[in-house]
This record gives sequence, C-alpha cells and structure tokens, in this order.
Amino acid sequence: MDRSLFRITPSGASGLIFAALAFTVLPAIAGSYWMSVLTSAACFTMAASGVAFMYARLGMVSLTQVGLMGIGGWVALRLNYLFDFPFEVNLILAALATMVFGWILALPALRMRGLYLALVTLMAAGGLEILFSTFQFPNGGVGFWGVKIGSTDPFRGPMLAQTPEAFLRYVIGMTTLGFLLIEAHRRTAPGRAWALIRKSEAAAMAAGVNVTLYKTWAFGIAGLLAGASGALLAASLGLLDDGTFRSPESILLFALAVVGGSRYWLGPVIAAFLYRILPALLNTWGVNADLAYVIFGIGLLHALITAPNGIAGQIFEAAQALTTKPRGQK
Amino acid sequence: MIAPHKVEIDQVLVRFGGVVALNAISAAFTAPIGGIIGPNGAGKTTLMNVISGFVTSKGGRVVVDGQDILTHPPHKRAHMGLRRSFQKEQIADDLTVFENVLVQLDHRLGSPAAKRAEAERMLEVVGLSDRADIPGALLSGFERRLTDVARCMVGNPKLIMFDEPAGGLSVEETHALGDLILGIHALTGAQTLVIDHDVELISRVCTETLVLDFGRRIAFGPTAQVLADPKVKAAYLGTEDIA
Ligand SMILES: Nc1ncnc2c1ncn2[C@@H]1O[C@H](COP(=O)(O)OP(=O)(O)OP(=O)(O)O)[C@@H](O)[C@H]1O
Ligand SMILES: [Mg+2]
Repeated sequence: MDRSLFRITPSGASGLIFAALAFTVLPAIAGSYWMSVLTSAACFTMAASGVAFMYARLGMVSLTQVGLMGIGGWVALRLNYLFDFPFEVNLILAALATMVFGWILALPALRMRGLYLALVTLMAAGGLEILFSTFQFPNGGVGFWGVKIGSTDPFRGPMLAQTPEAFLRYVIGMTTLGFLLIEAHRRTAPGRAWALIRKSEAAAMAAGVNVTLYKTWAFGIAGLLAGASGALLAASLGLLDDGTFRSPESILLFALAVVGGSRYWLGPVIAAFLYRILPALLNTWGVNADLAYVIFGIGLLHALITAPNGIAGQIFEAAQALTTKPRGQK
Repeated sequence: MIAPHKVEIDQVLVRFGGVVALNAISAAFTAPIGGIIGPNGAGKTTLMNVISGFVTSKGGRVVVDGQDILTHPPHKRAHMGLRRSFQKEQIADDLTVFENVLVQLDHRLGSPAAKRAEAERMLEVVGLSDRADIPGALLSGFERRLTDVARCMVGNPKLIMFDEPAGGLSVEETHALGDLILGIHALTGAQTLVIDHDVELISRVCTETLVLDFGRRIAFGPTAQVLADPKVKAAYLGTEDIA
C-alpha cells in the first residue's frame, strides 16, 4: 500500500477541520435565505476545485466549467423525470456523463496550449450556452428535452437529506469527497505524471508517462466534479435556469479560482465565497451587487501583481511563517 | 558480466527547413558506454531526439537490442527500456527527489513496495538517500543531475542517453558523475550514450565515440583514435570548448 497516500499534512488537517466546522455549524445557524446561498456556494466550491486543480497541476486554463455544471444538471434533471432512480444514481450518472463530456472536450484541447486551449474551452462554453438557452432544462415535460410551460414537476433529492439543512450538509460532504478525490490523485501515479508534464511534456514522455492519457484524465476529473456539482445544484433548487450557465460565468469562476489560489484547498472555497456569498452579502447590506465585479477586478489585479498563489497562498504562507518562527529563533 | 546490448543507427536523416541537421547518419554502438561529440549545432541533441522519439527521421532505422524502435511513440520507448536526460535537467519542483525517481516506475507492472525499494536503491547508488524527501525545488544543480541519473537507472533500462550531463558541474562533480556512469552497466545491464563537450569526461568513460559536424558523421570508432583524428581536430578548431 502507498504509505504516503494517507499522510495528513498541516494544510490537509486544516481543510478537514474547516469542512467539519462548515458541516456542523453552518446548517445550524443559517436562515432559509442563507441556507440556499451557502448550498449554492458549496456546489460552486466543488466546481471551482475542478478548474483550480487543472490550472495548478497542469497549467491548463479551462473556461468551460460552469457550462459543464449545466450538463451535469441537465442529465440529473432528465433522469429524474424519466426514471424512478434514487437521487444518488442520478448524481453518479450525471457526474459520469459530464466526465465523458470532459474527455470529448479534451480531444481538441490536447493539441492546444495556453491561450489557444483557453479559447477552445471558451468556445465549448459558448456552444453549451446556446444549447441551454435554446432547449432549456427538463422540468417534467414530454419528449427528449422534457420541457413544459408552467409549473415544474418535483425533483427527488437525496433520501438522506430531505430538509434544507440536511441538504447543505450533504453538499458539504460531497464537496469534501471531491477534494479528497483530487488529493488522492495528486499523491499517486497520476499526480506524479501531472507534475512532470507541467515541468516538461518531453521529460514526462521520456519517463514513460502517457501524456495524452493523463491530460485527458485531468479533463475527466474536472468534468466529473462539474457534473456532480451541477446535479447537486439542480437538487438544491429543484429546477435550473439557463442564465446560470452562460459562458462569462465560466470565465469568472476560473478567474476567481486563481484569485483564491488554485494550489490550495482554500482557493476554491474563497472563489465560491466571492462568487456566491459576496454578492448575497452586498444584497443584504443594500449595496448594489455589481460592486462585486469591482471587487473581483481588484482581486484579480492583486493576484496578478502580488499574489501568484492567490489569497489562499498568502494565508498559508503567513500561517507557516507564524508557526515556524519560534522554532527558528531557538 | 551481462552481455552488452547493441544500438544500431542506420541512415538517420533529419531536415529542419533548409538545415540538414542529420545527414544519413549511421553508427553501431556496441561498447557498454559510447560517446557523441561535436561542435555546437552539430546535431548531437537531434540524434538523441530521434532515438527517443521527439524528432522523426526521414527513413532509416534505429535498432536497440534487436528491435526497430522508430515506429513507437516516446513513452512506449521508455516502457521498452529507453532512458534519457535533457540538456537542462528536468526535475519536477513540486515532487520530492524520491517521487521524481518513482515516476519512471509508475507505468510498470509490479508491487508498489518493490518499486519503492528500487527507487530507494538507486537513490542510494547516486548518494541522495538522505535527500529523498526534499522537494525538487530545493536541490542544487548537481543534486538535480544526480536525481536525473537515478531516474534513468530504474525500471530495467536497456539504453540510457545523457545529453551534456556535465554541463554546469564543477571538476569534482564531473568526476563523480563519471564514476556513476562507469558503474551503470554493471548495475543495470544498460548501455549508455553520453553527449558532452567535456572531452576529458568523454575520453574517460566512453569506449567508442561518434563525432558529428554540421549533421555529418566525421568519425566513429575507439575514443582515443577518434580524438586523434585530424578531421576531428579541424572540426573543433576555433571552438573554445575543446581548449
Ligand atoms: N526543432 C528544431 N527546429 C529547427 N531547427 C532545429 C531544431 N532542433 C535543432 N535544430 C537545428 O539543427 C541543428 C542541430 O541542432 P542540435 O540541437 O542537434 O545540435 P547540438 O549538437 O545538440 O548542439 P549543442 O552542442 O549546442 O547542444 C542546429 O542547426 C539547430 O539550429
Ligand atoms: Mg545539444
């Protein structure tokens, strides 16, 4: 057995403690408005972890992530109205379907690098945006697209989580599993392959790494996480709106993952905070929510100029400096 | 003693636009350690790139241990036992020294424990055991080279190629590297090809040497004999590397 697989690092421990606190405290104190905001934020944390991981481990810019969430959401809704599967089955199938879509996206993307890769993924997001706005999301209607006018049929949420509080816990649990999935990869053969690919593709190939396979795999994981988060979002809202999955949202989520710090677990959490919670806060304070975009802009400049590892990087570096200082002074 | 392998390079031809980087090069390396030398831009790295699969030869063959390898993609060639280092060593900064070696074994069948043991053993051979858990980012230039050498030696290699391994190393470090290279065949059974500008290193470790100049083979044979060849001396005239 890989003995380094289960090693607990300080960063990992802080992440698990954060997840445990979020799991116990947030559902207990939030009112119904904040419950839905936090649930949505937890969903987007999972999606953001997918783009953050692709950027941090492989330097690949993916601007399709929110569009991929739409696919996961669409598949989950479609299955919900077609069959009597429990939610978990729909969730897994939606995640797997989106993973396959991630692989398809990888086909053209594998030939591209840098800006060109970003453009290809953005075009995919644009294509999805058009599909979603044309066909909308299933809501219990007949036919393949399953859309009807008027009221929406009920969506079956997870058996384990029938109340909003329980569902928030459920999403936090799933998001934590998503983080663990990424971390398990990072600590085993795929992580080593990715690290070498990022250093140099030629060096990776010379070390026997199948570069195409591992890059495709990375796209698949990002897709899997997007699909699962889309299905969870569908379950939390009971329906989906095409406006949620427009291509600028994908760009924004990626940019915020960089601002948050793509190399750390905290990065996607900060990204989702900025993306979902900050606008809600501004709203409750009676401030125009567009101010959020100004803050995003400042955050991006901050990341580009002074914080290459994002806000999370600054926090962890500060924490490290604080904890190692006493030892250094001895 | 393990029987030496044979690397047969046959009519390898590479053009980059108007430049003929390799002009129908042939050479059969049969000694455990061979050298490839030549002035800057002679085509040495290009030849190594053809063997490892990053550059395609127009026709010709490269036969390693009885197998024509040119049809396989680079990572498959690595699986078949080809190893190489690059002019600039390629150590992943965010992997530990140990992981940088282990990555070479990941695609092989076998138990994780056996792979770890082998990586550990090779780190011991190059003298990096006590640095195994240090991230690549913190290594010195020489330690990065040694990590590269350890990576090349794991996983039952057949042919190991080093592209200017002594670049940027001190005289003592180069000597230590030479000792390591001399030990590779006994330790792993692999044949080694070394590109370097350091003629002292080449004449110390390489039994036979190929000399390239402007993409042409100007000499091939026992190293001492090749280095004494007037054509080889003429090719180097005016280049400071051989001073
Ligand atoms: N990818 C490439 N595209 C175009 N030309 C190339 C390419 N790679 C090498 N060349 C050219 O081919 C020739 C041989 O280059 P190569 O790198 O093989 O030389 P070298 O013998 O390794 O030189 P050095 O000692 O400087 O490393 C040079 O003229 C170089 O400019
Ligand atoms: Mg070269």
